[in-house]
Amino acid sequence: MWTLYLPIAGNSINILLLFGLGAAVGFLSGLFGVGGGFLMTPLLIMAGIPSTVAAASDSNQIVAASTSGTFAHYRMGNVDFKMGILLLVGGVVGGTLGVQLIKVLVALGNADFVIKITYVVMLGVVGFYMFLESLQSLRKKAVVVAKRPETGRSSAYARAIQALPWQMQFEKSGVTFSALVPLILGTLVGILAAIMGVGGGFIMVPVMVYLLRMPMHVVVGTSLFQILFTCINVTIMQSITNHTVDLVLALILLVGSTLGAQVGAKLSRRLKADQLKILLASIVLLVMVQILVSLVLPPKLLLGFKGGH
Amino acid sequence: MGMKMKKVAWLGLLAAITLVPGAAAASSAKIRLYPDRVDIGAFFQGVEITLQGEIPQGAEAVVEIQGTATQQELLRKGRRGGLWMTVGEIRVENAPNLYLLLSSTPHVPQLNGQEPPWGFSALRSRINFRGALQDQEKDRFFQEFLKLKKSEELYCALPGALKTSNSPGGQMAFKGACPLPAKVPPGHYQVRLYVIKDGKVLEQKNEELVVKMVGFPALLATLAYNHGAFYGVLAVLIAIAMGFIMGFLFKGKAEH
Repeated sequence: MWTLYLPIAGNSINILLLFGLGAAVGFLSGLFGVGGGFLMTPLLIMAGIPSTVAAASDSNQIVAASTSGTFAHYRMGNVDFKMGILLLVGGVVGGTLGVQLIKVLVALGNADFVIKITYVVMLGVVGFYMFLESLQSLRKKAVVVAKRPETGRSSAYARAIQALPWQMQFEKSGVTFSALVPLILGTLVGILAAIMGVGGGFIMVPVMVYLLRMPMHVVVGTSLFQILFTCINVTIMQSITNHTVDLVLALILLVGSTLGAQVGAKLSRRLKADQLKILLASIVLLVMVQILVSLVLPPKLLLGFKGGH
Repeated sequence: MGMKMKKVAWLGLLAAITLVPGAAAASSAKIRLYPDRVDIGAFFQGVEITLQGEIPQGAEAVVEIQGTATQQELLRKGRRGGLWMTVGEIRVENAPNLYLLLSSTPHVPQLNGQEPPWGFSALRSRINFRGALQDQEKDRFFQEFLKLKKSEELYCALPGALKTSNSPGGQMAFKGACPLPAKVPPGHYQVRLYVIKDGKVLEQKNEELVVKMVGFPALLATLAYNHGAFYGVLAVLIAIAMGFIMGFLFKGKAEH
């Protein structure tokens, strides 16, 4: 009762457990505009799914969740397609570069070290910055309505992005700067995402908020739009080269996650941008601490399976 | 002198066989599996195989169920700069994809003066480790490999799992249950019964267990492995359709 056999994963699993996992991660996805791969894949591995199958089937599931989330955000006018496409192009270029970089690192023999350290540093920096910034602005709003003083560094950054050629207006996001900015930032996130083996949503969101100065609600919708295409690509590539997409697994997950994504998108509309940011920052920091702990504590087994995030 | 003793012993054994009618049947141990064919369908969640058979009075039984030898690439974890991480790859060669061992005695029976062909120590001598490890580390990593396989329920030793009773023909009947986990890979498995008496193997019997995917899982696996591109596109289309359907359903709900 309530168990199904997953033909590609080669194991049977409780449907309700998968459905619940899907709903929880889909909820976060709709709320914050992240794919949730960095949460889902480890959870699936814990539930007994081989890591390679977990990662590939998860991207298939994210296709559904981000379709559902993008659609919900699109209806609320929260998707900046122009920005999304530019970031996506940058992301594809960065992803390709990142994969080559990993090959070099593997050949040098310290790929895993670089990946783990990149993870901890990225999550730590992004999490702390977002957490402190939103905490500060939450407090400020409570005391007095004052404009955030621009620091010298960020105004230099603002001048730099205004000086670049191909200035473009992004109406949805209400910003104007060079088309090169999202292209370059997209490439950088793409490289990081490929090294870390994730979709990159949780790096892309802070990049959009702090470096592209987009409003938080548009960030969530646009990020989901971008993740949708990244994950379509990954699903098809994994199906062709590694045969690791388990459709049964993905289907159960996506029923849960599409439902969760809708609820998340609704709630994201109700929460204030700073509240959203502080919640996402907390989750990012939690994941960072979890990885850090796994690096410091000795593992149960000295042998592990290949693949996964 | 030794030769003479051996001859006498052989003659004695021969006499015993010809004199005692019950002992004549002892030369044919039996083993049967119920079921001997396992279908993996959409709701498969592992199965219990019942092993049943006969051995001579006073003998011990060992049953081995093992799958095809495979090669597996595993990651070695180690400490670098105080942090635990993957430090290299270890290739495990010639390890069966499933190894289950049952015996009629509380401890796995041993042989006089030689290593038995069953059990984990026999596996140790068959399995090769290559890659990121030194020769003197191989025993340690065999233990780690065993732990990994046991945690997946794919390797398991169940001494004493075969219960014996007297059977009407003067033989001894044995019966035991062996759990086949949901993770069992489809394929052909060799089931081997060893009959042991006084530290020697009297007899050996082989049977086969077939595990096969059927129905929906079989269809999906065939699609995934033989038509990868089609399968990938199908998976994406289904996901997008589900995303939209859920979106529309929610929109409808919200408006009411």
